[in-house]
Amino acid sequence: MLIQQLVNGLTLGAVYTLLALSFSLVMGILGILNLAIAELFMIGGYLGFTLIQAGFPLPVAVLAGMTGAAVIAIVIEKVGYQPLRDAPLVTPMLSTLGFSIILQNIATNIWGSDPLQLPIYGDQYTLGPVNIGEMQLLVLGATVVLVALVAYIVQKTPMGRALRAVAENREVARILGVSADRLTMLAFILSGSLAGVAGVLIALHYGAITPYLGVEIGLKAIAVMVIGGTRQIWGALVAGPLIGIAEVLTVAYGGSQVRDFVVYGFMILILLLRPQGLLGGARSDQGQRV
Amino acid sequence: MSTYYASLLAESGILLLGALSVYIILATGQLSLGNGAFMGIGAYLSSYLTVALNVPLTLALVISAIAAGIIGAIVAFPALRLKGIYLAMATVGFGEMVRSFFLNFDTMGGSGGYRGMQHISVGYVWLWAGGILIAVMLLERSRVWLEMQAVHDDETAAGLIGLNTVVTKISAFAAGAAVAAISGGLFAHHNVYIEPANFGFERSVDFVLAVILGGSTVAPGSLVGSLLLVFLPEFLRPIADWRLAAFGSLLVLVLLVRRQGILDRSLIRMLTFRRAAA
Amino acid sequence: MSRIKSNLPRVLGTVAAVTLSAMIGGQAVAQEIAIGAVVPSSGPFAEWGRSNTVTLKMLEQQTNDAGGINGAKLKITILDDAAKPAQAASSLRKLAGDEKVLAVAGPLTSSAAEVTFPVANEMKVVSTSQASSKPGVAKLNRPWAFRNTIDEGVLAKTTVPFYKKAFNIKTVAVIFDAKDATASTVGKVIMPAVLKANDIIIANENDLLSFNTGDLDVSAQVTKLKALNPDGVVVSADYSQAITVLREMKRQGLIKPVVGATQLISSAILKAAPEIPVIAPATFYATMTGPAPEKFTATLTPLLRKESGLPKDIEPSMYDANIYEIVSMYIDAIKKTGVTGKPADLEADRTKIRDHLAKLEGFAGLGGPIGFNDDGDAIKAFYVLQGQNGAWDTKVKGCSSAPGHPAC
Repeated sequence: MLIQQLVNGLTLGAVYTLLALSFSLVMGILGILNLAIAELFMIGGYLGFTLIQAGFPLPVAVLAGMTGAAVIAIVIEKVGYQPLRDAPLVTPMLSTLGFSIILQNIATNIWGSDPLQLPIYGDQYTLGPVNIGEMQLLVLGATVVLVALVAYIVQKTPMGRALRAVAENREVARILGVSADRLTMLAFILSGSLAGVAGVLIALHYGAITPYLGVEIGLKAIAVMVIGGTRQIWGALVAGPLIGIAEVLTVAYGGSQVRDFVVYGFMILILLLRPQGLLGGARSDQGQRV
Repeated sequence: MSTYYASLLAESGILLLGALSVYIILATGQLSLGNGAFMGIGAYLSSYLTVALNVPLTLALVISAIAAGIIGAIVAFPALRLKGIYLAMATVGFGEMVRSFFLNFDTMGGSGGYRGMQHISVGYVWLWAGGILIAVMLLERSRVWLEMQAVHDDETAAGLIGLNTVVTKISAFAAGAAVAAISGGLFAHHNVYIEPANFGFERSVDFVLAVILGGSTVAPGSLVGSLLLVFLPEFLRPIADWRLAAFGSLLVLVLLVRRQGILDRSLIRMLTFRRAAA
Repeated sequence: MSRIKSNLPRVLGTVAAVTLSAMIGGQAVAQEIAIGAVVPSSGPFAEWGRSNTVTLKMLEQQTNDAGGINGAKLKITILDDAAKPAQAASSLRKLAGDEKVLAVAGPLTSSAAEVTFPVANEMKVVSTSQASSKPGVAKLNRPWAFRNTIDEGVLAKTTVPFYKKAFNIKTVAVIFDAKDATASTVGKVIMPAVLKANDIIIANENDLLSFNTGDLDVSAQVTKLKALNPDGVVVSADYSQAITVLREMKRQGLIKPVVGATQLISSAILKAAPEIPVIAPATFYATMTGPAPEKFTATLTPLLRKESGLPKDIEPSMYDANIYEIVSMYIDAIKKTGVTGKPADLEADRTKIRDHLAKLEGFAGLGGPIGFNDDGDAIKAFYVLQGQNGAWDTKVKGCSSAPGHPAC
């Protein structure tokens, strides 16, 4: 049972990692919480579902989820963030909240509030006591690949270096000739695409989605981002499975009713003991003014 | 006035107190996204006092406010090492922990909720809401508020000129928690039924929303924001299926048009024809 | 004015009917009978509220096409509470105080009912929930609160023995939605008591498994269920949440019969894991046979599917049937007790409706006769259903009252 629980925990952790990374791409670079990311994840899931139902292969569904979420991310950036970039941080955060309300309503009107379901996608394998699905393996694999890809983009490419420069100091970056506005857009697109891809893969793995899919998991993903450190791409890869496994083990050892208490308590502990996150990098004792 | 509008007004009063609880903390530059938890503490404690121990409501509210204030100070002490969005996230975590606690607190019903409170009038709600609003407005004219503003604008500088920034921030947090607890106590006795879901993240965000929409630089802004948040969804009823989307769009629109919130000092001056002496 | 002209024959008919009934009954009746409804048309239960709305509009049309109520036109004012308790309560205030309705159907959820029923008592207007089944909610708010649902405690007493016999169940494991008040009461209190009374061992009695509304991943809970190796699983959750559990059970290969409360009944849950049998009680389901339910489903289904904002394959739910019955009972009360619908008689009219409901017996509902018990909950026939391979099948017919009651 323990091995199966670890597999469960890793899968859940992968879900958290992907979402936490989406949050941290905007948070780490712009210092704002894009609360609509949870809904981009949800929309990505619905787009993927719709295409799979229509008989398209998985790569097409993933691409559609990614593109759809990225396009909405562009709209959010143009309408909800760009005009408010000089306002206190809480203002753009609330405008993204407005978008998340709108997206939930749109999804309800298109797909209904009851869960939309697909048959279990892909094969199921049984290895001794452990049960694992093809989609589950794909989610795990994709998480590692996507994190590596994002890490590569942010750390090795000129675009990534520019992003980090903006994150470090917007004014200095501007003086050095980096177009902050263009890069802000880039951060939103990158984060939106990631949420969209995650939405398709994860929705297919669980096979049932509702317009409120992102609400609970989004809040947990924010906790995971904080634990991993908002400025560290690899932080999410460590923190996601850590929280996933902590959650699963709490349930396994009789604490299913206090699970959330444990997860958020852990987040607060990390914030207090290692304010810079597990892997360091962020400086939570010197956050921007709200 | 019909009982429908009276009830909406009572809800606005309760939200106003929640908004003010955020406003007081925000005045020192701290964002709390966990005030729903303090509201919950106030709601549960005051209900227990009035229902199980027959304590008069006003006394129960005062006790709840003091208790929440103490919890607020205890929470604030370690949390204030964190700044900005990180503090906000710690408060989110605190809020979820408190909600999870009440969900498992079977003595007071757990997820089944708690009931037995006596319904209160809209007048009683506004006695508290109006009283605390005036108290905050008076506070805004005091030296204490200047110190809070100094901490808000530049904490390091405030410390250098000899202000005790830690005491200022913790006091603001405790005061905010106390006000949120009163909001919770009134909520419980207005609805006469409470359950843990009433005091989650969504509630905490509503408080912040009321402050930011109404205007985060003046206390009456919270009043405008609270009235807007309660009455707007009612006025949007004819849109039916798109009601929430319309609400979201108007929210974004207001932020775009007036990022400082609907009410600010210059607007108040314009409205009251006062000269720019202040 | 132009509207009146074009409807002249109808208006004349109405006037004639009104005059006639006034002459016969010796009482004048208002031109319009106002009834209110509170349903969640936005938010997480939007689908239920929207299909409730279509159902009520259908009933309004049917009633008026058949000549109205004692000659007066029926007008149902429907307000959306977004599944928020505070909005449900203020909606009731608006309906009772501003719109002067005679009675209110709704609210839907137990959380909304908890906050709205006390207001119904304050305003002295009948409020009948179409879905709340959390134990004791109407009982705490007598005399104006009613529920056209059966207390889950009563239902479990028939459901569990069938479940035990049909699948030879000796041990079960329990999982419930801790955030849902009804589900957690059923999972923590009602089911364990009924299981014990039927000599079924609860494998995880001291560690009941729980998850939260909105959880995407319940794999850890299901792995634990599987390790307990029970003969069956008690899933106490709303169907949209139960779907997550059933799918995970299927994925991990835990194919064991599931039992639960009315919350499980839906067409959607049948698609989650068709090979896992699901046992749950219901008072109505879309494939129910009999003249009344078949006619109801046949008329309502195309209207639902035509509605924008609802899925194309939607079927009438138990809550649609319940709200249809609620307003039908109000109409019955108005017809039989001499309710005038005139502003001056508002208070007396509301009391008449309340008293009529309180002693109602044998009202012809969709699934059989309906009455109300002293707790304000419905006495009506119910059916223990088995859902498997995509269809619900009636296994046992039960009744929520002592034998011999006309509703049984």
